[in-house]
Amino acid sequence: MRRALPTIIILLAVLVVLPAILSAVGGGYWFRVTTTIGVFTILTMSANLVSGTTGLLSLGHAGFYGIGAYTAALLATQLHWPFYLTLPAAGVVTAFFGIMLALPTMRLIGIYFAVATLGLGEIIHLTLLNWVGFTRGPMGISAIPGISLDGLFTASDIVNFYAVAIAALLTAFVLGRLAHSYYGNALRAVREDDQCAASMGLDVVRLKIQSFAFACFFAGLAGALWAHTTGYISPGDFRFSESILILAMIVVGGLGSLPGAVIGTIILLGLPEVLRPIGDYRMIVVGVVMFLSILFLPRGLLSETSVLHTLRRQFGLAWNNTKHVGWRL
Amino acid sequence: MFDIFFVQQLVNGLSVGLIYALMAIGFTLIFGVLNVVNFAHGEIYMIGSYAGWLAITIFAPPLLVVILVAMAIGAMAGFGLERIAFWPFRRFRDEASLKSKAMREATLLSSLAISIIVRELAEKVFGSNMQTIPQDYLLLTPIQIGPLSFASGQFLILGLSIVMLGGLQWLLTRTRVGLSIRAVANNPMGATYVGINTERTIIATFVIGSTLGAAAGLVVGLYQGAIFPAMGFAPGVKAFVAMVMGGLSSIVGAVVCAIILGVAEAVTTSFFAQGWGDLVAYVFLVITLIFFPTGLFGGGRDRV
Amino acid sequence: MSTPLLDIRNASRRFGGLLAVDDFSGFVRRGERVGLIGPNGAGKTTLFNLITGFTPLSSGTVRFDDAEVSHLKAYEIARLGVARTFQNLRVMPNLSVFDNVSIGALGALGHSPLTALLGRRKQADEISRRSWQAIERAGLQNQAGELAANLSYGKRKYLEIARALALSPRLLILDEPAAGLNDTETAALAQFIRKLSEEGLTLLLVEHDMAFVMSLCERVMVMASGRKIADGTPQEISRDPVVLEAYLGSAEEAA
Repeated sequence: MRRALPTIIILLAVLVVLPAILSAVGGGYWFRVTTTIGVFTILTMSANLVSGTTGLLSLGHAGFYGIGAYTAALLATQLHWPFYLTLPAAGVVTAFFGIMLALPTMRLIGIYFAVATLGLGEIIHLTLLNWVGFTRGPMGISAIPGISLDGLFTASDIVNFYAVAIAALLTAFVLGRLAHSYYGNALRAVREDDQCAASMGLDVVRLKIQSFAFACFFAGLAGALWAHTTGYISPGDFRFSESILILAMIVVGGLGSLPGAVIGTIILLGLPEVLRPIGDYRMIVVGVVMFLSILFLPRGLLSETSVLHTLRRQFGLAWNNTKHVGWRL
Repeated sequence: MFDIFFVQQLVNGLSVGLIYALMAIGFTLIFGVLNVVNFAHGEIYMIGSYAGWLAITIFAPPLLVVILVAMAIGAMAGFGLERIAFWPFRRFRDEASLKSKAMREATLLSSLAISIIVRELAEKVFGSNMQTIPQDYLLLTPIQIGPLSFASGQFLILGLSIVMLGGLQWLLTRTRVGLSIRAVANNPMGATYVGINTERTIIATFVIGSTLGAAAGLVVGLYQGAIFPAMGFAPGVKAFVAMVMGGLSSIVGAVVCAIILGVAEAVTTSFFAQGWGDLVAYVFLVITLIFFPTGLFGGGRDRV
Repeated sequence: MSTPLLDIRNASRRFGGLLAVDDFSGFVRRGERVGLIGPNGAGKTTLFNLITGFTPLSSGTVRFDDAEVSHLKAYEIARLGVARTFQNLRVMPNLSVFDNVSIGALGALGHSPLTALLGRRKQADEISRRSWQAIERAGLQNQAGELAANLSYGKRKYLEIARALALSPRLLILDEPAAGLNDTETAALAQFIRKLSEEGLTLLLVEHDMAFVMSLCERVMVMASGRKIADGTPQEISRDPVVLEAYLGSAEEAA
């Protein structure tokens, strides 16, 4: 029972308390803001898995976000697929692209991989921008159907909120399981010292690809959610600056820390909303916060080591509870 | 007719390539000495162009003075960049647990952050739209040599590049600063043992590299007639591509590959739409990293 | 006499013009304790890298348990039962001691994401048990939850060995295990390694501490300039004129 309590609290907070608060302060706009933050938490949690836990610093994550968004948008507008099909489809397609594009780059390490992902992200963005015949280029895709189910509910700010909230919670659950387990240890080993990991019997290439695939799946999912909740997407939503924003969020929150990713997102997206005057200077704030973070808090606000420790200690995820070591999964 | 057109594109590509080469040199110098990627190099390029533009609009001095002003401001910016984004992380270099990989990532992120801040500040101050260079300074006077037409700017680029490259060569081989740069690039610990002041060398490298980058930015601004805050991003990436293609530690390799890149881009742009031309650099990048990890000319260091 | 556990035949490794390992042949029998010594730069670590798949062979073969492993990747060779420690300790500083050790267990038992996703407790428990066993063998129970970065140098050595043990290896390769340890620590380590051997582990180790090697190893191979120059018992080696000459030129001090 002790283990279920935190989960129940989180579920209640997100699905009951939060919407209540948002309605109280005026609904509408605030629901949209929270929905945006929700979509980005899915993005950052997925980026955290590949860049934080596995150590494959990616500067092109927004590209995969874009692939997911365009997949969903095109499936919905051209083939009239409903959202419950476009969402998983977007995830799968993006994961597939992710594997295809990343496979050749798996040999690369550190900054070389990072710059390769930058190149990939730009290639994706430029292709979305210039392949007008397929993606409508800079005009973007509009009139994307919202999240609605005939007879049950029609698209609205509140429906969008719940769709994104549920998706984010599921993402957190899945990625949490992956990261807070022995599998997560394997990924962390790849980050810490991939040559050593290989000499200890870890199939490093396979782990990297798996990590990338999972991250891209959820990035695609986030993109699809973005498409359906905003109704309009264009290549400008998926540029390098978005990739940097995502990176900044996970750095601020703590590389390798799942709750850190969420915190980083809330801070970097929420702050400009709450402190309106800052809003115009958003990217400057992002840059400054990121810089100060790296300089003074290189492990982020909720460092990975403290998170793992807390999870094992407080939430009973440890094998051998007296020593708080090991994982139960 | 087709041949002339093609040759014309080659010539244009050469000019573009030389610009990338000037930037690539700065990148390669810094990488050689510190083993880090300077993500803010593109912003130095942008600073150079804005410094020149400001000089023109405020003082309207002769062209040579504009170039010198841009270079001076670029040098100072390079110094500032090194102190802010790179130096603070060297204090932790001695910790055993912070291997150089962690430091490389830290400086990657810090220079990235600084580049964002600088770019956004420029957008706030100057507006994100293009600023045009006054007519008198534009180097677009057409010059006809045989069937090919050049713009005067291209000669300036060529001349400037030759001067800079020559100057750099002289600096690296004939001066103490240059010698210490080569020494530190070769063996940082060994360099300290023989009494070379690594800190000063690193600063010097940044200053020199930034001077070149700023000059490149200014000349491009004059040649294309318009500058904007985000102008440094694409050339910055292309300079990095050239460096990687050239084998990371080779300046000559970087220059040659930058020219190849420029020509490829010009040819692509003329046969396809403008947008696809930008794609060339990124495709080259990915292909190089995957198939030629030691660069096209070998001699790359480290595992890639 | 059954086939040796490790059989190296005419192994060579070339780096451009340099022949780091030159036509090296040698073997380790099951249960043996074999030492590998030689002056600095003799190619000992390169040989280890060849055996463990870190570097590809330029020519020659390596056989483990009568199967050719020359072209296998490092992780495949590890999974067959070859574990190693490193000369410059490579513990993973941001992971706890237990998590570090679990890497070896993960290597041996596999690391599918489905284990975590589908909640396969049994697999995880097996990894936990094996890791804890290795930690107990190495005497690191009290540090199990500590960050590896906070461990003393001596403890880190045991951590590396524990991690290798978690692989349940049949051959343990130790690269300068006693380096940097004082006499007491070295003696304790020697005792620990001897116990591992008595429990059935085959050992191949590189060491510069001659007393360590002589007391622990049943057989010693000597390398110089990439070649094997001697192979015999510690007594035979210490009297071999070729060996003595190889050492005279280097800044070696025999312990």
